Amino acid sequence: MVGSISGLDERMTTTTSPTPAPLSARRPAVADGSFRYLALACGLAVLAILALIAVSTTSKALPAFRHEGFRFLFSKEWNPTKTKVVSGQSVADPHFGALAFIYGTMVISAIALLIAVPVSVGMALFLTDVAPRRLRGPVSYAIDLLAAIPSVVYGLWGVVVLAPVLTRTYGSIGSATHGIPLLGTLLSGGSGRSFMTAGLILALMITPIITSLTREVFETVPRSQKEAVLALGATRWEMVRGAVLPWGRSGVIGAVMLGLGRAMGETIAAALVIGSSPQITAHLFRAGDALPAVIANEFGEAADVWRSALIGLGVLVFALTIIVNSAARALVVRTDRRMAA
Amino acid sequence: MTTLTPVTTSVPAPLRIRTVTPARRTRNVVATIMICLSVAVALIPLGFVLFYVIEKGTKVFGWAFLTKSIPIDRHIGPGMGPAVVGTLLVTGAATAMAVPLGILAAVYVSEYGAANRLAGVIRFLADVMAGVPSIVMGLFIYTVWVLRFKGSGQTAFAGSLALGCLMLPIVIRGTESMLRLVPREQREASYALGSRKSRTILTVVLPAALPGITSACLLAVARAAGETAPLLFTLGIVFKNNFSLFKGTNTALSAQIFVNATSPFVGAQDRAWGAAFTLIALVLVLTIVARLVAAQFTVRER
Amino acid sequence: MSVPKVRLLGPVLALGLVAAACGSSSKSTSAPTAPGATNAPSTTTVTLASATLNGSGSTFQKAFDQDQIQAFQAKHSGITINYAGGGSGKGQQDLADQVVDFAGSDAAPVKDPTKDKGGPLLYFPTVVAPITVSYKLSGVTTLTLTADTMAKIFSRQIKTWDDAAIKGDNPSASLPSTAITVVHRSDSSGTTNNFTRYLKAAAPSSWTIGAGSTVPWPTDTTAGNGSTGVAQAVKATDGAIGYVDLSDAKAAGLTFASVKNSAGKAVAPTLDAASAALVGVTVNADLTYNPLNSAAPDAYPITSPTWILVYKTQTDKAKGAALKAFLAFILTDGQTNATASDYAPLTKDLTAKALAQVDQIVVPA
Repeated sequence: MVGSISGLDERMTTTTSPTPAPLSARRPAVADGSFRYLALACGLAVLAILALIAVSTTSKALPAFRHEGFRFLFSKEWNPTKTKVVSGQSVADPHFGALAFIYGTMVISAIALLIAVPVSVGMALFLTDVAPRRLRGPVSYAIDLLAAIPSVVYGLWGVVVLAPVLTRTYGSIGSATHGIPLLGTLLSGGSGRSFMTAGLILALMITPIITSLTREVFETVPRSQKEAVLALGATRWEMVRGAVLPWGRSGVIGAVMLGLGRAMGETIAAALVIGSSPQITAHLFRAGDALPAVIANEFGEAADVWRSALIGLGVLVFALTIIVNSAARALVVRTDRRMAA
Repeated sequence: MTTLTPVTTSVPAPLRIRTVTPARRTRNVVATIMICLSVAVALIPLGFVLFYVIEKGTKVFGWAFLTKSIPIDRHIGPGMGPAVVGTLLVTGAATAMAVPLGILAAVYVSEYGAANRLAGVIRFLADVMAGVPSIVMGLFIYTVWVLRFKGSGQTAFAGSLALGCLMLPIVIRGTESMLRLVPREQREASYALGSRKSRTILTVVLPAALPGITSACLLAVARAAGETAPLLFTLGIVFKNNFSLFKGTNTALSAQIFVNATSPFVGAQDRAWGAAFTLIALVLVLTIVARLVAAQFTVRER
Repeated sequence: MSVPKVRLLGPVLALGLVAAACGSSSKSTSAPTAPGATNAPSTTTVTLASATLNGSGSTFQKAFDQDQIQAFQAKHSGITINYAGGGSGKGQQDLADQVVDFAGSDAAPVKDPTKDKGGPLLYFPTVVAPITVSYKLSGVTTLTLTADTMAKIFSRQIKTWDDAAIKGDNPSASLPSTAITVVHRSDSSGTTNNFTRYLKAAAPSSWTIGAGSTVPWPTDTTAGNGSTGVAQAVKATDGAIGYVDLSDAKAAGLTFASVKNSAGKAVAPTLDAASAALVGVTVNADLTYNPLNSAAPDAYPITSPTWILVYKTQTDKAKGAALKAFLAFILTDGQTNATASDYAPLTKDLTAKALAQVDQIVVPA
């Protein structure tokens, strides 16, 4: 018996019982070693699973890469059931160009970030510096609630409630901005299911992630810094601008990139409201398509090269999210190191 | 913009006193308004979503909703029993697989991995895995598992494999960060009393980190319960209860919402809202319990 | 020390569920159905061993299939049939991969039979129904369209509702200048296949995009997933037009246009008009046929056929027997009840041929 352990904040004390019986030397050693190997085995299993995911998806995607070559990334023609006539016979001549989907994913992620980042940073500031103490609890519970709602529910709400309402709104915005040089092109289209709607739903979904991470970053700003700035006569906004934001800058960027990673990989909500028409267009109120959404829509009926191409799109999203998440982590680690210093 | 300058010009610049000019005050007020506005912008749509889910979901929700079989699209009335069964089955099985594996892997990385390159690799790859889009998990399990079985590959187990892969990195990351928070002194004291490392881990470290680990696992379960994409190709569909994990296709609340979201039949749409209500309630309960458990942990920390 | 109970609850619950799951076998252990009492005289009264059949495919026939499954399961309580939808393309692919036992498809024959792992396929026609050209336009409740106009609308040569061509088809209607939103299918669809084949056959000069389960639609159009997705998209947008099967269009409360057939008559998409399209159609030996662009005077020109595909050689005795019984049910009771589901029955002749083909299914002894 090792003695009673109660609570992390108490120092280890032996109880009033006499000295513990000596531990026998041999049995625990075997048990100890086997536990270590068990833990190691689990670690290796995790490694194996991830390696299996990476290897099997990439290998299944190879036929499509070989079929298309670089056109896979740079061609915008996605036509899996195209046929051409060769010496009187109609043969399959599929084209798998992912550019329209890459464009769609980038556009809706950009829209989502454009909306979510200011809102999230604002909310984080609200929770750390602006809100009266009583409000902090309820508002952060509300944010947790936002995060807890599954993406398919957002998709349901988006396609049944939001999209029909937005069709009319897009129409009005479109006629209002008609003729204005840049805005007029961007804000035109008129389809409830479009890049813009998908971007809006995604913004709603990534806001809680960015907010909670940003808030953690802002909470680590040393009080001394804030108080020093305030002591010099700064207003609250100047304190935020001078002490909080610069301190947390790389952490915020890291949080934003994690949100971006989430937005890029989001399948269901995007699939329901984006309109499923792959095209590269500047009109944001027109229907489009995104990488994970097209996989969800077309995989069920795909075979052979088509299936490889869709798995290839999956590998593409995988690679993009790895890049974004690694960059995010590097930034957050840097902030952590700075805080610890 | 008036500034008060001191009488002598030899006072260094930083000591010049500035009043709070109207311009600065305005900027402060505007900034505060913008910040409060951003909270509104985020929470108002949340309110709308919840309003619709509650209003439409409670119309059809009830005991009958949770237990009756799923009727055809055309039929108006409650019935999502098989989806509830499926969600519990698939999520439960995924939890049973991912939680022990994840905790032990995190134990390895955190406790045995100090000078170990392997542990660092595992930690890095767990983070990478956390970023894999859920649809890719579903595709992976479909091509590697479902297609092996002629005609009977789509099962609740296949779905739970996909969800388990999704949960694993969350469990590992959460557990590892909780284990790291256990003070070193606790471990050292245990060693000083003659405990082996495994015994220390099992009797000192894990119990100390238990609330945090539980919280992380519950959050992983909540996330898995709400996922749809991994289940699209691995579950199939049923309309009557299927309690078998390994035999026959199954369905889940999230999959039913997705399928019914685009149905023109009013009955099917109402059931979609009811399923959304059920799912949110389930996820919310798990999240709240996770938070309560974690709160207990942080209080003890301080 | 006390372990928080919550921590134990999760794994215990999960273990309990796993144990229950492993313990229970497949669900069906019910008594055989009582023969004769409530059956319609045309059905056989064989008691079937319990089995579960999975199918996927055409969303065009999904509403009909669901009604038939419900009626069939009421008669044979040991049989469970799950039909997933997903589009004709998905059904054909799932059947080729042997992930399902039967597929629903509006397009036949299948493009590449060598992909089918289970051997040759049999095509069973089940019902026909009109593909409605549904639209939503405030203030316009009746509309007539010719193939040429439709071809131009769906290929975006006509972009507004008050275009001269549409006015020409509807001299007495007052059409607003709303922009047209074209809605089509995003998934590989037998409905798309039939609709585009009709346009190609009836208006070859205006329709140049091609015909098939997926076609390269113009970029400024919207897509919906499944027949229901298109119906929903049309319903949500003023000025939208799309092609939807009758059952889903009615459920969504859409308005349909009448189409001028090749005999020059404007025909509304009714079940009688769909049945009229079957008159005089050539049926191939494998029971595939083409009722599109029918020359019959009262025929609705965009009448879509639909089939259920199964492997000729079945590998499971119980499943094979259930499949045969289900197909026979559809071709007997199902034909009588088709109109209640908003589908038109087949001609007597075609039904007889299909029933004869049911006997060709080989079930292991």
